[in-house]
Amino acid sequence: MIALYVCAAIAVYAALRVIAERNTMRKLPFVNVISFAVTAIIALLLPHPITIIAAAAYFVGSTLESNAIASTWAGGIKKP
Amino acid sequence: MNDIVMAASVILILVGMTAAIFNRDPFDKLISLSVLIAGVFPFIIDRGFLDIAIATALIAPLSTIFTLMVCRRVQE
Amino acid sequence: MLDEPARILVTAALCWINFVAIDVFFKLPESGGVCGATAIAQEVENGGGDLHGGYMLGNIVSSPDASAGTLLASCGVYCAGLPGGLFAALLVYIGNRICYDPGYAGTTGAITASFLVWGMTQLGFYASDFIAGMVIAILTIQGISHARSSRLIARLWEIRGRLLGGP
Repeated sequence: MIALYVCAAIAVYAALRVIAERNTMRKLPFVNVISFAVTAIIALLLPHPITIIAAAAYFVGSTLESNAIASTWAGGIKKP
Repeated sequence: MNDIVMAASVILILVGMTAAIFNRDPFDKLISLSVLIAGVFPFIIDRGFLDIAIATALIAPLSTIFTLMVCRRVQE
Repeated sequence: MLDEPARILVTAALCWINFVAIDVFFKLPESGGVCGATAIAQEVENGGGDLHGGYMLGNIVSSPDASAGTLLASCGVYCAGLPGGLFAALLVYIGNRICYDPGYAGTTGAITASFLVWGMTQLGFYASDFIAGMVIAILTIQGISHARSSRLIARLWEIRGRLLGGP
């Protein structure tokens, strides 16, 4: 299945870009690419209706985690 | 699972692990842990443990969020 | 009809158009929805990009938007047909609310992508092509050069401003 190989290659490429990037905030879009690729691999490995829930849970969790890292780095919510 | 996906997941785990060890900044370490857990997921799914996958997918980000909350409290 | 690599490239273009159009329409490049998105936008601008493009990159990272909706809808159609895609749209809606995002870009993207993928599967494409195509599409926006893609998104944001009036 070429679709699976494409997603695996993109995940490895994005992981290498993450460690090559020096700036912390600019690493986060590459981490987002990794979570897209791993969500795709999850869905392609096991085509079952419950896999949708597992893929969505992983993706939303990863997004929430990146958001938390970004907002804590930025100093949190600025109280008005 | 075919070899290419397994090799890619192992590369993600190794890259995440070495980056987490050798980075100085704690935010970079947390980002590398996120890469590491991304590499573990295909192995869980491949065995069919969908419920374990859903549980891990909810626990791992929550533990990162709690780590950040503790760090903010220590800083203040 | 087409070979698998050619099908994946076609689906990548379709997914790119779907998610970029819906995100720009829902004003994602206007401002950072959450403070994490603003931080990423500032750093993208310091790296040579455009601020509004940076806001869109930050919003894509911080909250499930149309790109996430397109990907999860394709996974849903692959696993369970058209009902799977609509169920994935519901999960994207829940994810948006969990991330404190009041918008509807993700849900809209998921619903349009479900019908798009389901329609194309009737024409000889496979849903797995759309999954790989969506990952390629997000790679072009977020994984190659933040500066260049933020400038491209800023240009699309200007075009939207001219076509649909002020923000």
